[in-house]
Amino acid sequence: MSDRVFEIVTSSFMKLLIPGITVTIPLTILSFLLSLVLGLLLAVSQTANIKGLKQFSVFYIWIFRGTPLIVQLFIIFHGLPTIGIYIEAFWAAIIAFGLNLAAYNAEAIRAAILAIPEGQLEAAYMIGLSYPIAMIRIVLPQAFQIAFPSLFNNLISLLKDTSLASSITVVEMFAVVQQITGRTYEYFALYLEVAFIYLIFSTLLTFLQSYLEKKFVWKSDATKEEKRGRRRAMLG
Amino acid sequence: MLEIIGLKKSYGDNEILKGIDFKVDKGEVIAVIGPSGSGKTTLLRCISFLSNSDEGIMRLDDYECDMKSATKSEVSHLRENMGFVFQSFNLFRNMTVIKNVMEGLITARKMDKKEAKEIALEMLEKVGMLEKKDSYPDELSGGQSQRVAIARAVALNPRVILFDEPTSALDPELTGEVLDVMKKLADEGTTMVVVTHEMGFARDVASRVVFMADGYIVEEGPAKEVIDNPREERTRQFLSR
Repeated sequence: MSDRVFEIVTSSFMKLLIPGITVTIPLTILSFLLSLVLGLLLAVSQTANIKGLKQFSVFYIWIFRGTPLIVQLFIIFHGLPTIGIYIEAFWAAIIAFGLNLAAYNAEAIRAAILAIPEGQLEAAYMIGLSYPIAMIRIVLPQAFQIAFPSLFNNLISLLKDTSLASSITVVEMFAVVQQITGRTYEYFALYLEVAFIYLIFSTLLTFLQSYLEKKFVWKSDATKEEKRGRRRAMLG
Repeated sequence: MLEIIGLKKSYGDNEILKGIDFKVDKGEVIAVIGPSGSGKTTLLRCISFLSNSDEGIMRLDDYECDMKSATKSEVSHLRENMGFVFQSFNLFRNMTVIKNVMEGLITARKMDKKEAKEIALEMLEKVGMLEKKDSYPDELSGGQSQRVAIARAVALNPRVILFDEPTSALDPELTGEVLDVMKKLADEGTTMVVVTHEMGFARDVASRVVFMADGYIVEEGPAKEVIDNPREERTRQFLSR
């Protein structure tokens, strides 16, 4: 690598990392929270078999899974203003990512709810819980554990997909790297560099996932401790 | 106390219950026996409204309700008087043993935590599961799970507890511990309806035996009488196997 390229790459690192932390990550977190809440509502309205809502949910998932994310992004940012609705780029991106991912999260949560044995609900009924309370107290916590890996998978996809927000003027990490390549023409090194930063972020998420998955297991502390002990013993 | 009149139930073309009259008095232990497919489990599920009935009247003391068209509030009123113990335990996997027992008291009955905990501890002691109070269901054996499930039902102090083949999912060496707990409850005067294949239990613990076959109650009477000297040919056939 020439000194010039080395100089560009090192001087760009913080320039990329900062919008990564201040824009890409908030964009990911806020969109994901939106998609989680919406996804849960869509999933529950299907499994609860509420008339009308169920059909709406099926329709919603059909639309948002069946059309490209970037097209949805453009409809919200460029399309809505023509009917008088203006949304700032950052929030337009959150809405588009949130609405889109909600469809995928809904399917993950719905499948998880269906995986919970009917007996859990029946036992809840027989101790006097109503359907909504039984869902909140018994079924959804268990379904969440099952859905967790899929939801996390979607979160990692989202992290990378936020780069599409650059196409609607959001100055996130990928937009910044494009600005720098525009000045320096060092496409290869700089795109590799930004790929590397995305990789760091998603690696951190992967660690977070395995940490949380261990926390979510319904075992008493004594059993967990014993397991750790056995593992340590095996490793010598 | 609890009475069912003319209960009918079909799944599609298959009529499972063909008109059942059934009565439980306070303090009775009724064993419901009969061959597989005779409708024993369906009977319990209809009584507890876990399955819909096609026809039938339920009376609880002076309270009467049409089982086919029972409203949500009727069902929840009737269920308040019933406990249910499932063949597959159905303990809440996301809660510790003691939380399983406290859940109905706190969430459904709005009891305060301290009082609920006291009751739960007392119930767990009764079924011999106090030591495992902070374990999760996944860490229990089948027999232990079922004893916790019994404690969960008893904690709400229902007037009758329905047991749906409580030992059928257990290894033979674990059925004893569950039957012992049930016998203890019976001795304390708990009203129980037990669908079971355990003839020994039916004979020695139940006060009355109901023999079902092909969707009918074929014969019923004092436990020892029915099991030792059945009147009906169909009952004799079943018992001689």
